[in-house]
Amino acid sequence: MPLDTSSYSLALLRLDGRRWNELRRIHAQISTQAAVDGSSYLEMGNTKIICTVTGPAEGRRVGGGGSGGEATIQVEISVAGFSGVDRKKSGRGDRRIFELSYTIEQAVQTTLHTQNYSGSTISINLHVLTQDGSLLAALINAATLALIDAGVPMSDYLCACTAGSTTNTASSKGAPRPQAALPGLSSLDEEADDPLLDLNGLEEQELPFLTVGTLGASEKVVVCIMETRVQATRLEEMLAVGVDGCKRVRSIMDSVVRDHGKRMVDEG
Amino acid sequence: MPPTSSQLLLSPAELSYLHSSLSLTPPIRPDGRTTTQFRPLVAESGIIPSANGSARVCFSDGTEAIAGVKAEVEKSQWRPGSTEQSLQVDEDGGDDEAGQAGTQGTGENSWISMSIEVPGFRDDDALPVFLSAMLTEALLADGKLKDRLWINRRFHWKLYIDILLLSAPLSYPLPLLSLTTHLALLSARLPKLKSEGDEDPLFDDDWEASTYLYPRDTKGACLDRPPITLLVIAVGPNFVFDPSKEELAVAEAVIALSAGTSDASTLNKNLRLLSIRTIDPPSRLTPLGIPDALSSAATGSAPLPPDEQLAAREGTDEHGVWNPPRGGMKRAVLAQIIKAVIEPGGVAQEVMDGLMHVEV
Repeated sequence: MPLDTSSYSLALLRLDGRRWNELRRIHAQISTQAAVDGSSYLEMGNTKIICTVTGPAEGRRVGGGGSGGEATIQVEISVAGFSGVDRKKSGRGDRRIFELSYTIEQAVQTTLHTQNYSGSTISINLHVLTQDGSLLAALINAATLALIDAGVPMSDYLCACTAGSTTNTASSKGAPRPQAALPGLSSLDEEADDPLLDLNGLEEQELPFLTVGTLGASEKVVVCIMETRVQATRLEEMLAVGVDGCKRVRSIMDSVVRDHGKRMVDEG
Repeated sequence: MPPTSSQLLLSPAELSYLHSSLSLTPPIRPDGRTTTQFRPLVAESGIIPSANGSARVCFSDGTEAIAGVKAEVEKSQWRPGSTEQSLQVDEDGGDDEAGQAGTQGTGENSWISMSIEVPGFRDDDALPVFLSAMLTEALLADGKLKDRLWINRRFHWKLYIDILLLSAPLSYPLPLLSLTTHLALLSARLPKLKSEGDEDPLFDDDWEASTYLYPRDTKGACLDRPPITLLVIAVGPNFVFDPSKEELAVAEAVIALSAGTSDASTLNKNLRLLSIRTIDPPSRLTPLGIPDALSSAATGSAPLPPDEQLAAREGTDEHGVWNPPRGGMKRAVLAQIIKAVIEPGGVAQEVMDGLMHVEV
């Protein structure tokens, strides 16, 4: 379904009314489930994730060989059939799901102190309830919150968000745009070629975007995934906007954790 | 996911203690509930905007499930048998209006599809398949739901019910999943049909105008409700609703009962039994206790050979020594259970009324 993103250049407002550097509403809860060690619920706009963490606990031996003094991290993602617009049952061994879980596994490894738990397993279960863009970013943020709730030692928050870029320039489109023929608008077009923060589902279908994850506010990028084509010159500012977004995500997640901690102290 | 969570580790002495306290009159349950009392739960419905109906239920032991109901328009398959029926209806009801009359008995079982996801299990494992079979059975036995999915002679709604168990199955998750499905179906809405007759269906895009899958009257009270499936265990002369993990470990029989609203008249709120299934009780796999008379450690004599020991055990019925139950339940107990479920003001009624008050 082609999407009309050309209206962006007129008012500099995106389809859902945000400006280029605005995040969607992020709402998160931790300790949502009593039966597991750590759990979280995260909404980024209309993307909703539930994450549960079990462990570090003695897990199933995989293969039989020792894992070299480090905890094994298992990430399982299940996408609910009703999560999208059309009902779709994701089969086992879906390549995309496998890639997502591998990315999260690698990312989480950089912040967890797995060397303290040799021979044990930390299993992260992620359930996607609804999806509307920024899926990987939301999964990473939910996993971080659940790991914090589980009390697994980690060096800093792992926070992620997406950044995209409007492709309004004539050169990237390949064909001259009708609006460029109007005298007053051509200069506006040049300025309208903006990086965008935190894309929703419709924007993701239309625009090039990348998912970036950083370690806390340190600007240390641990995840950077991009599956679309974009001009190399645009990449730098997309990354900069993404890293900046991660800092804001971190402050939101931090306030969620602090609020929860305060409530636990108050309620005893 | 460690597989140990499904197997409860209790010693024969503990099992015997649990069993004898549940056999008392009145039975004493480990968590102090009465026989028909459910565990406290947290429930909410209408939580997922991308589904037609959805619900989340969280039991106090931490098990949690989310159900989503999604309806899609599907082309009906033409079948020789079905035309005859609709022709007959045409004669009865006259012209196009016969469409509404034709909804009686036109639904097909394949229009409802259910899938259950249990963490640590594949979707073709025995547990999820059995659970979804039991829940689907009750929905179909109700008979009215599938007829409501009929749009016109060429199209119907296909109802996908996806249930996610978010936590490990600590106790047998059937009541949890059933209650979640009940709530999700209760909150499910279908867009209002704008087209007429056998045209390609066209729907009103105003969600406010949508109709509930289970119709309600103007005051919002339900005229019909989805079925619920309850789990009951029998211990000696007693029965216990909504068993916990420990109680399941000493159950002599486990049965699942589905109850739904009766189709005669919706005004008298009688419930009827839709299905009963017996479930293999986990107590058969529990370790057995050895009476002193047979224990070589207590008597000091040499242990008997295995076959003689087995024969000697057969005769003993010593109090306080755990024997995994064999056989089923007494008929009188089953009759009592059914009565307790479907009588007016019974357990099923109480559960349904309780769930009606769950707010979106």
